[in-house]
Amino acid sequence: MAKITIDGNTREVADGTLILEAAMEQGIDIPTFCYMARLAPLASCRMCLVEIEGQGKLQPSCATTVADGMVVRTDTPLVAETRKSMLELLLANHPLDCPVCDKSGECELQDQVFEYGAGEARFQDQKRVFYSKDIDLNPVIIFNAQRCIQCQRCVRICEEVVGAVALGTVEKGMDTKVTGFENSLAGCDHCGNCIEVCPVGALMSTPYRYKARPWDLKETDTICPYCGTGCHLSISVRDGQLSRVRSKYETGVNGETLCVKGRFGIDFIDGDNRLRTPLVRKEGGLTAVSWEEAAAFIAERADGAIEKGGSGLGGLASPRLNNESLYLFQKLMRTAFRTNSIDSSSRWSAAGPGAYQSLEGLFGGLYARRSLHQVLEADCILILGATVTDETPVTEYMVRGVARSRGTKLFIASARPSRLDSEAISSLRFVPGAEAYLLSALLNGIEGAEKTFANMGALKKSLLKAAKTPPPEFGEFLEKARTAFGAAESVTLLIGADLLRSPGAAAALSMVHGLGRVLDALGKRAEVQFLFDRPNQMGAWELGVLPGLLPGWRPVGDAAVRAPFEEAWGASLPADSGADFRRMLERSEAGKMDVLYVAGSDPLLSYPDGGLVESALSKARLLIVQDAFMTGTARLADVVLPAATFAEEPGTFTNNEGKVQELRPIRRPAFESKPNAEIFALVAEALGRDLGPVSPDAVFAEIAHLVPSYRGLSRDGLGDDGSYTRPFAEENGGDLDDPPLAAPRRTKGLELVTGDSMFHSGYLSGNSPVLGNLSAKAYVEMNPDAAAGLELADGSGVVVRSSHGEMKARLKLNKRFPAGVVFVPDNFADARLNRLLKHGEYPCPVEVQRE
Amino acid sequence: MFEKVLLKNAEKPDAHGIEAYEAAGGYQALAKVLREFSPDGLIQLVKDSNLKGRGGAGFPTGLKWGFVPKDSDKPKYLCCNADESEPGTFKDRVIMEGDPHMMLEGMALASYAIGAEVAYLYIRGEFVLCIERLETALDEAYRKGYLGRDILGSGFNLDIHMHLGAGAYICGEETAMLESIEGRRGEPKLKPPFPAVAGLYECPTVINNVETLACLPHIVNRGVEWFRGIGPEQSPGPKLYCLSGHVQKPGVYELPMGISLRELVDDHAGGARPGRKIKAVIPGGVSAPMIPESGLDVTMDFESLTAIDTMLGSAGVIVLDDGDCIVRAAKNINEFFHEESCGKCTPCREGLDWTGKILHRMEAGEGRQGDLEQLDFLCGSIFGNSFCALGDGAAWALKAAITQFRDEFVQHVEEGRCPFH
Repeated sequence: MAKITIDGNTREVADGTLILEAAMEQGIDIPTFCYMARLAPLASCRMCLVEIEGQGKLQPSCATTVADGMVVRTDTPLVAETRKSMLELLLANHPLDCPVCDKSGECELQDQVFEYGAGEARFQDQKRVFYSKDIDLNPVIIFNAQRCIQCQRCVRICEEVVGAVALGTVEKGMDTKVTGFENSLAGCDHCGNCIEVCPVGALMSTPYRYKARPWDLKETDTICPYCGTGCHLSISVRDGQLSRVRSKYETGVNGETLCVKGRFGIDFIDGDNRLRTPLVRKEGGLTAVSWEEAAAFIAERADGAIEKGGSGLGGLASPRLNNESLYLFQKLMRTAFRTNSIDSSSRWSAAGPGAYQSLEGLFGGLYARRSLHQVLEADCILILGATVTDETPVTEYMVRGVARSRGTKLFIASARPSRLDSEAISSLRFVPGAEAYLLSALLNGIEGAEKTFANMGALKKSLLKAAKTPPPEFGEFLEKARTAFGAAESVTLLIGADLLRSPGAAAALSMVHGLGRVLDALGKRAEVQFLFDRPNQMGAWELGVLPGLLPGWRPVGDAAVRAPFEEAWGASLPADSGADFRRMLERSEAGKMDVLYVAGSDPLLSYPDGGLVESALSKARLLIVQDAFMTGTARLADVVLPAATFAEEPGTFTNNEGKVQELRPIRRPAFESKPNAEIFALVAEALGRDLGPVSPDAVFAEIAHLVPSYRGLSRDGLGDDGSYTRPFAEENGGDLDDPPLAAPRRTKGLELVTGDSMFHSGYLSGNSPVLGNLSAKAYVEMNPDAAAGLELADGSGVVVRSSHGEMKARLKLNKRFPAGVVFVPDNFADARLNRLLKHGEYPCPVEVQRE
Repeated sequence: MFEKVLLKNAEKPDAHGIEAYEAAGGYQALAKVLREFSPDGLIQLVKDSNLKGRGGAGFPTGLKWGFVPKDSDKPKYLCCNADESEPGTFKDRVIMEGDPHMMLEGMALASYAIGAEVAYLYIRGEFVLCIERLETALDEAYRKGYLGRDILGSGFNLDIHMHLGAGAYICGEETAMLESIEGRRGEPKLKPPFPAVAGLYECPTVINNVETLACLPHIVNRGVEWFRGIGPEQSPGPKLYCLSGHVQKPGVYELPMGISLRELVDDHAGGARPGRKIKAVIPGGVSAPMIPESGLDVTMDFESLTAIDTMLGSAGVIVLDDGDCIVRAAKNINEFFHEESCGKCTPCREGLDWTGKILHRMEAGEGRQGDLEQLDFLCGSIFGNSFCALGDGAAWALKAAITQFRDEFVQHVEEGRCPFH
């Protein structure tokens, strides 16, 4: 601690604190442009100069750390005069075109001139002009060089946080310009974080350009609907129209950052494909009807089937829906449709019942329900089965941050390469399926670990089975990871969606448990978090949108488990274990599905066996699709119910940290659409059931009452930063399975993997005009040498063929791709990638040929 | 007559080869040090010599070396600052062209003292002949075993890499130089951490000037007493002075530290041109405030010049006579700094742009009432507030010109023309 006196007030502050930060803590405002807590100090704008006793010159408070006994003054005439003169210098060449500048009204230069400036200009010579017109650096970022004040926040955030290094500085002195190569931003993520941190109107958002004055905007704070990072968003609306999306300085898990999807992809809410009215299939196709008619139609068609009961009914809901909607969906399915056939994980063909059992154990204890920032403070981080840069970009920024600033030892084992690899001690490319094998091989080599295996129950066998001398391509990675894990006091494992797609998911999850236990036995702290690429996967699972499991992971077959739910819901519940979506499809294909209810999901696009999906969905006697958009699945429906988007209904998401955060509607639902919760209530009512009060407060209270991990939480009490759910089982309790270990697969051919790209994530992003413009078509990504062997050139048209089907797209070469892996993003409807994929088989063996 | 040591070989024709250097006793200092001195012993010797850095700041060399942490397990680096770019300064060039081995031997000695096995030679890219000679000299030194592995059987290893600057004056600033070597944009970095602790690639690094390094073999060979016997007590040793501008015999002169400026200009450089009188002298490169003729009795050492609010700097002495327009000189100097400002900090980047605009107008006869006050304001805003010494030097030099020759500035504005042109 250091005793420091600022403007006469003496306080103790931690060593290493910057004077600027110490002053802020005392409520003393020191103006600055170049300082940002998240960036390395630059001390270039010279706005924050202060007097320090004993120093001849003024010192930059943003780069000077406190020292014991230091006496600082920020309130002297010299300091005031210096601030004034710096502002005068910054304004001297600044265009003062505030009336036509997007930033005007929220411009830091304006604000500081108002607060500290001279109020008049003394210089009369010509101002510097770089360009007469603003430059489109790319489709979303536009640049006015004249307005730039050279704080370099944009360049630094792009390099230090985002890691893209798309922006740089050219020329020197007065000619210094921020730009990319040839005034374009090669390698740009289009995340717009540079725009966010720009204090003036130099870097601007093209979609927002000339749309509004900041004071005309109505701003609503909410949570991003794209991935499970759960970033804080501020959405601005003018006259009911979406104007822009911002992140706020040091607010939310994301701080001031977002990814391209979050910042520019929210325009999906105004996408052309929005559903306007309920639709019912009549002669000649889907026809617009009233809500009453749609409800009556469902009642008429569903009644008989419900009486028959059980296996002819089922529902699928998306992990993009909020907690309240998801909870009501399963309540609706169980009480009104009287079925336990409920699923929310349609993309993961392989994650079967075994996987859910492991998940329950994981979420019960080992799962770290706390801030990702804290979880990342481990000595060692292993990222398994995730392409973080594309799937959860803001999480990626945070991992980069700890790897660079704390020297955290980072290991990445994934199918696809990513930019984060360059921050890792070692990166391993492997074909999905070998995750359990990899983890056990890793554990096996940690010093002293083997002694602990005896206490690992059935898992012991698998642990010992794993080869101590793994295949050579694993060698270097394992060696380094074992050493690092061995030396670490704390280890964090971050698991991506790839692992859940893999047929070995159940085994891998068991081994994740094993890892937790072994590390625990070695006296190390082990924590696990998922890196879901959907905003509410954790909520969907914990709230019982699963076959066979009631909210809180509780088996529906147990009468004692059902009893409190039956009491609360005033209905007897079916006791069978229900079907997952795969079995629902199989039943439908066999002509045995009476009612299939799909909410917010487009399995026609995303579920493997595309051919089967289409045929099975068509054969369902009553296919109800509730969605905001006219999806491919909706086109096959008998009834289409137009639903609100995340931005038009209240609710909560539970993010990857296990944190419940509030969604606040920015406007009323568009057209005739309704909030999802209200639609469920309406359908229940049509079926003669009462779902009870469906207001967000009431539903949340019911969740908090019935679901152990939500116990004690209330919607009112979530606070601006959200509240954490809690683990519900005894620490690492229960037996461990002995999972089958699949050795790494080795094929001579190519293996197809899929997932999100940086610009797209499922069908949601496809409805965003901006994202659609940035990335319009499916592509096939592969290694240049592998392509050369097949005589395929970059950009050429290729056919990807599996034993199931084929698709066509352009080839995109990436030299960091492993030779045997091919990637196709999973979101492009016209590519119909799922026609190639087969249930239970991932990755998918394919051939790639010239078109 | 003062005995030259730094220019002794350089002034001989074709003495830049290793044979000539060895014949004159070259690399004996390195051999002696490797044989007889511990690194600490060498640091102590240089501390005792009171050698002060010849790059401009005059920081004691031995003390600088002593800041390198002994217990660091990181590699240590020596960087030789051969980016000589200060207008009016051309002394390092003479050493590198005429006697490159003297500097290389100095680099080897400094590297040994601080425990560096890799040294960088950051040289101004325009110094084509220097680069050619140094490339040859490096080859020769490696071949003869003065560089490379196990030098002279001592177990000491040293590799020297030459890095060519791309024309930015700011890269002579030590931290900007390190950025440049690392392949980044040449801009000064925050201190602390100082390079001695975290410099090149975040490792302990010492940056020494060419002339500083060139002094080292002589200190080893001839001893501390000899060195301290030259010039004033607080900053002793031989010194290279660069004389340019309106003197009869411009050139590089080796003379003791502390010689009087008047003696240097009048006796050694031949004084003003016939019929002209000296008006002012810039004593240490264009960052150093000019001294009016009346002040020429000052002695040329760090302390004496600092005492009269200017500096020895790089000892680039530029002479202005009564035919020279001070406004024009100030404008030219300002143009240099304006061009060379890296653009990082507000006062230097923005301030020098506006001083430039005003000086340009003034000299063109378009000065306005209030211009001088604006220059005063700008000098005040830049000086003391800029990130590195570039902005400070520019403002300091301009302020001195305006203060000492205010009448000339006023005359430009009032007459609406340059009285000299």
